[in-house]
Amino acid sequence: MSHGDQAPLLSLKGITKRFTGVLALDQVSIDLHGGEVHMLMGENGAGKSTLMKVLCGAYKPDEGHFESHGQPVQVHSTADAQRLGVAVIFQEYSLVPHLSIAHNIFLGREPRHRVPGLIDHGRMHREARTVLDRLGLDIDTQREVDGLGVAQQQMIEIAKALSQNARILVLDEPTAALSERETERLFAVIADLKRDGVAMAYISHRMAEVFSLGDRVTVLRDGKHVATMLAGEATADELVTLMVGRKVDMSYHRGERPARGPCVLELRGANSTGGIRDVSLKVHAGEIVGLAGLVGSGRTEVARAIFGADALTAGEVLVNGERLKGRPTDSRSKGLGLIPESRKQQGLALARTVGDNLLISGLRKLFASGLYRPRKALAHASSMISTMRIATRGPRQLSRNLSGGNQQKIVIGKWLLAGTRIYLFDEPTRGIDVGAKEEIFRLIDKLVNEGCAVLMISSELGEVVRVCDRAYVMKEKRVAGEVSRADLSESNLLRLAMHHG
Amino acid sequence: MGSLQRLPGVAWLLLALLLGLSAIAPGFASAANALNVAQQATLLLLLALPMTLIIMTEGLDLSMGASLSLCTVVLAVTSLGSGSLALGIAAALLAGVLIGLLNGVLIAWLDLPPFVATLGTLGVAQGLALVLAEGRSTSGVGDGLATLWNGAVAGLPVPLLFAVVAWAVFHVLLHHTRFGVAVVALGGNREALKLAGMNERGSLVAVYALGGLFVGLAALLLGSRLGGGHPTAAIGMEFDAIAAVAVGGTLFERGKGSLGGTVLGVLAVGVMRNGLNLLSMPSSLQVAAVGAVVIAALVLDSLRGQHRGFAS
Amino acid sequence: MSTLAQKIHLAPEQRSLLLRLVVLLLIGTGLALVSSAFLGANNLLNLLRQASLVFLLASGLTLVILCGGLDLSIGANVAMSACLAATVMKATGSPLAGCAAGLASGLLVGGVNGLLVTRVRVPPFIATYGTLWILHGLTYWFMAGDTIHGFPPAFRFLGSGYWLGVPVPVFLMIGVLALGTLFLQYTTMGQEIYATGSNTEAAALSGVPVLNRRLLVYMLSGGMAGLASLVFLARLNSAEGDMGEALTLQAVGAVLIGGTSLFGGTGTLAGTLVGALVLTVVLNGMNLLAISANWQPLITGVIVIVSVAADALSRRRSGD
Repeated sequence: MSHGDQAPLLSLKGITKRFTGVLALDQVSIDLHGGEVHMLMGENGAGKSTLMKVLCGAYKPDEGHFESHGQPVQVHSTADAQRLGVAVIFQEYSLVPHLSIAHNIFLGREPRHRVPGLIDHGRMHREARTVLDRLGLDIDTQREVDGLGVAQQQMIEIAKALSQNARILVLDEPTAALSERETERLFAVIADLKRDGVAMAYISHRMAEVFSLGDRVTVLRDGKHVATMLAGEATADELVTLMVGRKVDMSYHRGERPARGPCVLELRGANSTGGIRDVSLKVHAGEIVGLAGLVGSGRTEVARAIFGADALTAGEVLVNGERLKGRPTDSRSKGLGLIPESRKQQGLALARTVGDNLLISGLRKLFASGLYRPRKALAHASSMISTMRIATRGPRQLSRNLSGGNQQKIVIGKWLLAGTRIYLFDEPTRGIDVGAKEEIFRLIDKLVNEGCAVLMISSELGEVVRVCDRAYVMKEKRVAGEVSRADLSESNLLRLAMHHG
Repeated sequence: MGSLQRLPGVAWLLLALLLGLSAIAPGFASAANALNVAQQATLLLLLALPMTLIIMTEGLDLSMGASLSLCTVVLAVTSLGSGSLALGIAAALLAGVLIGLLNGVLIAWLDLPPFVATLGTLGVAQGLALVLAEGRSTSGVGDGLATLWNGAVAGLPVPLLFAVVAWAVFHVLLHHTRFGVAVVALGGNREALKLAGMNERGSLVAVYALGGLFVGLAALLLGSRLGGGHPTAAIGMEFDAIAAVAVGGTLFERGKGSLGGTVLGVLAVGVMRNGLNLLSMPSSLQVAAVGAVVIAALVLDSLRGQHRGFAS
Repeated sequence: MSTLAQKIHLAPEQRSLLLRLVVLLLIGTGLALVSSAFLGANNLLNLLRQASLVFLLASGLTLVILCGGLDLSIGANVAMSACLAATVMKATGSPLAGCAAGLASGLLVGGVNGLLVTRVRVPPFIATYGTLWILHGLTYWFMAGDTIHGFPPAFRFLGSGYWLGVPVPVFLMIGVLALGTLFLQYTTMGQEIYATGSNTEAAALSGVPVLNRRLLVYMLSGGMAGLASLVFLARLNSAEGDMGEALTLQAVGAVLIGGTSLFGGTGTLAGTLVGALVLTVVLNGMNLLAISANWQPLITGVIVIVSVAADALSRRRSGD
């Protein structure tokens, strides 16, 4: 069912996009043909989302251009992209909860009434009805969007796009939160759209989908285009290999590690308000356990549940055999520390000094009497600054002025000062340059060599393989499996993380 | 766009109040008293209707009472000073709109939290009212004005006419114009507003300016009732307005609101006050009672609100 | 100015304090030139007495704002606590009993506010706005339009007395400044309060008991309102339902002029003290220049708006 002979509806040619210090896309091209579903695959951070953002005009590429029906066109804004017929199917964030479905579909484009200034409700609802019927949605257009399920919201987003005569739809893992039946419905709609000649760019991690729905597959890796092929000509293993194979930078070497100690952290059958289901895992002193999985698989939620940031609705967390109360203050006092995903929003108070941030978790331990002595605090801070080699003028500098890598060191340092023995790292090297990354790995290594336990969440599978002793893999909020040292490889991790056969 | 879920709540409350007060309050259940309540309530309604929209945008206007007092003073001083009632009316409306614009600009352009911005304008408006009224005669504005409060058109008291027209205007604005859509979106999902290319800031300023306009209109009624202006005539009235809106079912977050609910809420507050008056409860304690009702409404709101939200 | 301060290696908070002191000096000098009565001993002492009262009230508020919250009910709290204290004192004849009642009342209100914000999760401005009106109403009703006056001299000393030639409230002000600053800068709780206000989520994820600290500051704010109510009562020597109505706005003004950010995490009690002085000097100046008292809420409102707007703009410039 490929339309390879006709000119593609829209093409991106030679797109390069840089962010400070990172090359997100490197000369990537992609053709979107009408009536085709073009699957976009790759690991976390391969550049898929960035490419889609360029496609819809949200990002301006540093190099490269657009072509519509084979002719070059200028796209400088989201409005330009919309005019070309591009529509992105969001999940949730472009719907207004207490407006009706029809209102949401026509937000900003409400049909005008004869009486100036008023909205023609009749026409709005009729046209909304038409679009919804086309999608086979049997919901009253007068209903508020609030209270609709995720699947239905998605349909409304699609309706919105169609009502704008979108010819190119971008779908980013649309089935991630859908049930089987809802997924079938979505696929039926997609099949209809294909028949209508709509082109679709579809990001997916589910092999089954790729082969049942996709006409063409493009694999990205580290911002580069690796391969494009017809879905019928590819195999699952081939795709995985293409996604994963790369040169690994081996400047950090996992040294000899002392034999691991007893189990210090255990999660048993945990369900949490963050959505994880029946998660069980163990971490021993002296080992680095990885927690891998795709975005949205529940890794961060596991860390939060352990630390007590999210409440457990079932199961328990045990530290050295003792059950945790499920509050961060308790977790901290029992020797846990969380280095969160977003260091600027969750790890640091940017407006406060380096010293203030370093001391905050260790206050109870270092100043047990409750009296705080600034000079002693400064001394502790200075000592930690030199231990961690934080590049700063001193403990009195404002934290917001430090680089990402150094900010991360502050977050780690604050837990060191608190006497933490069990570290929960959530993407410890995200957004940090290569040199600082190595330093952080060495730091983590030192921690475990001193008998601490580390649970490390990372989206970079190569990192997990290099650094960890073993790993758990999360998939859709549950543990998909455990991978031992011997089996620790990127392809094994990815296979477990994805919907695969 | 109506919040039919909460409506029954305030309707039940109103019913309970009506029944209860008829039983125990002397003189409550009479046509004359009913008319009295309705008349008093119209003043509050003129404040509560725009307050509904403001609260739907997740905002608040604490300056309405002070602004209302100011507008009555402006009305009196300008009318008496220039000899023209028409000029006084225009000046009062203008004053209200200007305060409203000030609020809107502080909130939409300087990104000040609404309660701080309107707390500041409360001080400004109150101060201006006191200063303007000082040493000037503010009473005896004349019969022309008096007909607003006491007059009737086709048997309907003029204030009620004001109320009905105001409700109609707000209904059309909220449910049939893009402005209304923008109001809901401002509270529900500002990102969506921006993505749809609508003017986020302009709409927000307009919401507060609209409030200011209706404060001006309310000043005409109040001035008519008082026979002039007074710098502290309406202190705290914004509190009753907020209470009426909260009790009527409009949430303080996410853009969920109901004009009908506000109308019932205004009646509930008005009936409560009237009944408590007839029971000789001092007005100060009435305020406490209304305050307790607001807190209760908000507590219920927050308890419910936390378990709802986008189904996911 | 700034380069000089930088040369002496002052931290940003100290620089901000210095700036405000300079503003105060400028206003003071200006007034001294314009009005011969300004520098009179009587006037200055009265000024200090008034500023002390505002500071006492604003000190608790400073803690609440530092912790990322807000308390609009403090003025009404003062009225309620003062009336309660007055009633108890009249009934028992004991100033001590009256003081206990006033303080207890203040703390109780603070506790209610704190619980509403931390346990019921009502947004601070709504919670304290609601309690403001409830207190207002209760006080009015309780006093039934009466005035209570004539308190024992031992009690009055608190508000109108002198010690070593200086009004007593000034010593209270200095005492609260010292204790409060010690609390904020030299206890772990103080550090946790700053952390909570600066980034609540990060503080919680660092193991700081955020809710408990919030509850604490609301209680302290209530307690300080209680203390202020006693000083107020002692100075006025009478209690009535509508006392202290202007105090909330003045206290908020003092905190904001003093440089404490509404967003929490930055600010000092010393700053609030200077803010209280600036505000009081301005109001005193208006009195001396025979500017009608009716301008006061206006001026205070304008100063509040300007301070907050300046705060917002400087935050935007620093890219927060």
